[in-house]
Amino acid sequence: MKTVTRRAGFAILIAMLVILGILTYGFRYIQDGANWASFFGNENVTGTSVLTDRYGVTLATMSSGSITYADDYTTRLACYQVIGDKSGNIGTGALTHFAGRLSGFNYLYGTTNSKGKNVSLTLDASLNVRAYEALGDRPGAVLVSNYRTGEILCMTSTPSQDPADPSDSPAEGTYLNKGISSALTPGSTFKLVTLAAAIDTMPDIYNRSYTCSGSIDIGGDTINCTGVHGTQDIYGALANSCNCAFAQIAQEVGPNALETYADKLGFTESHSMNGIPTAAGRFDKASKGSSFLSWAGIGQYNDLVCPYSMLRYVSAIGNGGSTLEPAILKHGATDRQTSLLSSETAEAMKGFMRNNVTNNYGTGTFPGLQICAKSGTAEVGDGTSHAWFTGFLDDPSHPYAFVVVVEHGGGGLAAAGPIANTVLQALVN
Amino acid sequence: MEEMVRIVVDASKYVLPFLSLWILIRCVRSMLREKYEPEIWGYILDGRNKTTYPLTHWENMLGRTRNADVHLTNRSVQRVHGVLIRDDNGKWKIFDTFSRGRIAVNGKQVQPDGSPIKSGDSLAIGNEPLVFAEISSAKHAQLESRRTRAGRNVGPGLTLFGLTVFQSFLLLQHTLSAKDEHINNVILGFVALILIEWFCYFLMRSIRRNGFEVEILAFFLTTLGLSVVATSTPEDIFKEIILIVMGIVLFFMVGWWLRDLERSKKYRLSVAIVALIFLILNLLVSRVTNGAKNWILLGGFSIQPSEIVKVAYIYVGAATLDRLFQKRNLIVFIGFSAICVMALALMGDFGTALIFFATFLVISFMRSGSFATVALAITGAGLAGFLVLSIKPYIAQRFATWGHAWQDIYGAGYQQTRAMSAAASGGMFGKGAGSGWLKDIVAANTDMVFGVICEENGLLIALCALLAIVVLAFFAVRSAQHGRSSYYVIAACATVSMLMVQMSLNVFGSMDILPFTGVTFPFVSKGGTSLLSCWMLLAFVKASDTRKGASFVVKPAQEEEG
Repeated sequence: MKTVTRRAGFAILIAMLVILGILTYGFRYIQDGANWASFFGNENVTGTSVLTDRYGVTLATMSSGSITYADDYTTRLACYQVIGDKSGNIGTGALTHFAGRLSGFNYLYGTTNSKGKNVSLTLDASLNVRAYEALGDRPGAVLVSNYRTGEILCMTSTPSQDPADPSDSPAEGTYLNKGISSALTPGSTFKLVTLAAAIDTMPDIYNRSYTCSGSIDIGGDTINCTGVHGTQDIYGALANSCNCAFAQIAQEVGPNALETYADKLGFTESHSMNGIPTAAGRFDKASKGSSFLSWAGIGQYNDLVCPYSMLRYVSAIGNGGSTLEPAILKHGATDRQTSLLSSETAEAMKGFMRNNVTNNYGTGTFPGLQICAKSGTAEVGDGTSHAWFTGFLDDPSHPYAFVVVVEHGGGGLAAAGPIANTVLQALVN
Repeated sequence: MEEMVRIVVDASKYVLPFLSLWILIRCVRSMLREKYEPEIWGYILDGRNKTTYPLTHWENMLGRTRNADVHLTNRSVQRVHGVLIRDDNGKWKIFDTFSRGRIAVNGKQVQPDGSPIKSGDSLAIGNEPLVFAEISSAKHAQLESRRTRAGRNVGPGLTLFGLTVFQSFLLLQHTLSAKDEHINNVILGFVALILIEWFCYFLMRSIRRNGFEVEILAFFLTTLGLSVVATSTPEDIFKEIILIVMGIVLFFMVGWWLRDLERSKKYRLSVAIVALIFLILNLLVSRVTNGAKNWILLGGFSIQPSEIVKVAYIYVGAATLDRLFQKRNLIVFIGFSAICVMALALMGDFGTALIFFATFLVISFMRSGSFATVALAITGAGLAGFLVLSIKPYIAQRFATWGHAWQDIYGAGYQQTRAMSAAASGGMFGKGAGSGWLKDIVAANTDMVFGVICEENGLLIALCALLAIVVLAFFAVRSAQHGRSSYYVIAACATVSMLMVQMSLNVFGSMDILPFTGVTFPFVSKGGTSLLSCWMLLAFVKASDTRKGASFVVKPAQEEEG
């Protein structure tokens, strides 16, 4: 009998699998219970939950069994990816992510005691509309935040669609909130990273001069520049966005320091925007002396940057070195700060970025704005370029940081600059 | 007054989970924590080294392996040498396992079909001389009086009283939420269930049986099932009560039948043939429900033959120790299993086929002890599974939805997403019996009962329901250590495994952790034949419970002596 009774352990094995199943369920319940419970079909959420922008403009209303969206058509399109839809097509959408908060779900009582709740976002819906209209039919993203508080004021992504009348097969990228969920070749905006590393690791950087004859040979490869810039100091090199100069700087800074700065400045990791994960970027270390290292230092090679990470970085520069972690939920001030740069380096970077505007982009392009910026024209290999324009206003009464990306949009200043101007003008005035 | 009732009902939402936990803990203490001493049926005396081996089972294996019940160390003894078996009537027989002709009783070689042996006979195993001694009835009575009586420290009466309080509170919640025209039915239904369980309890006490935990766990689950019926289809509550009564009557009948091991063994072949006829009949005259052809309409009642065949399958699959060492027996059983599983696959009843297959693995492992057999069976089934998936797109679709229910909330994921949503919305304590919305979704009271219970009664009670079956499994395994016959041990372990697999497919299927196969939650899901088969299966668990004075299926030793 002992032979048989010992084999009875097989039933215990199955019992263990059942317990494993129970634990799996428990885990999923903790992880996703809020989302399940806030499914629109859940009739136990009585009352109405409203998702609004910072000024109380309704972005979505949930009452038992149905969702309605903003009244204004363009607002619906401009805020589509931030809000999400009832089918859950956008995983990072507020309807999905703050579902528990909206339905009043908690683990102890589920939604049995719930009357529904209102949730306000930091977003300014009218600003989103301006940004959306400025992007027009070009795919891209606009992010604007207040770098003194971390509040995100504008976050729009194109192409978009009307959640009230969704298409079965929308244009590619519609389901992506590109500001937080995409990672794109950064082009020259990445020179802001290389420069910060150079300031900290090359004591004589301000005394250097770089000569640009239109191209430079590195590691047996030719790196072309956008023009022939002649002899420039480091200010001129950034303002001209000179590839020849930064190809050399990247070599001097070296692969280790460059990688350290890409990591330290938050470009290679995923961040959490009120619990919503953002896309991580990429920086591949190339060996010293190779052209790849130079390309990496000027934002090409395998470099990828999420616009959200860029927003964090320029916010830190504007805010004296530390960034307030950007937030989309409006529940009082956020105070989570991360130091990215020393205050001296931040101050120097601010000077560089202001110099870009005064000496190259032209203050007239941004009338009335105390803007510090960097453009980027990122070659993506198919002959087109992503247009980037990022920076901040050095203005205590208008402390705004911004990132504009137009995919396959051409020149950074030409394509993305005017969008930044339009949105910032709307915000300041 | 109205106000008072409201307060009591609100409070009851928090009382019920703790009450069900209390019931569960009492059952655990009594079934798994109390002393469980072996029965002793005889001795093997070794005159050479003055050793006495007690025979604690009806079936005892003699050999040199460490797992032998009579573990002999003499080099002339085979690893598995012989099997010593006592039958219902107290007659002993010895079998030469592999007929090597190396066992002698009183100097005479043992026959291939076994030789009778009685107290005082000398027994030679290899060249090891032994003496066999039956236990005297006086000695047996003396030993029996020292064994712990079931329920001595944790009285089943009090546990059942706790269950009655649980049912009363649940009923109270229903009276507030039920529609006026159904209130009387619901009250009558619950009162009937309470009367039934107390009737069973006093019936058991009247025949001096005190092990009632298995039944209490089943009644606890049945209560939840009744609650689900009361909330989803209150007009069917009488039908449900009738089915419960029928189930319990069948439980007693199967239990009574299993009391006699010789009789049980004798009819295995007949039962197997009847089971196959049932399945073939089902294949010929079946009605399609949800893509599965597993219903027969018989005189106005729809019955699911596969549910009855479940009981037959275990009845046929279990075997006594003497047969375990004969390869031929296992091969016949494998053939029978293959036909059953194939018939179910042809019907498109994929869930039940899976349950049968899992049970097959348990039985074949317990019979052969070989992981190789199990591995081979799983490989074979995997290949057959691919075949089924390629010819039955309806099943393939269920697999496609598995893990992606939320991506198809209006299609294949409709039921799961509703079940998950409702389940989460109930939190720990639920919304109150009868107050949910999931009950109105198609198949809520069968495939999605877990969701309904989570929503209305809360996650804590739903977990207690899952654990009730798991506790039953641990009890069956514990009882196995003191089982009289491997027939009962295998049957009980196969039963609890079957119940666990079925429950897992139901619960985790509706929660999108496993494929959604539409099988029932034992005792809880509404569904005629399923409820009947669950109660019948329970008799196998009772048959393995050899605690003193515990189970009506197990004859006390004195009864046979006379």
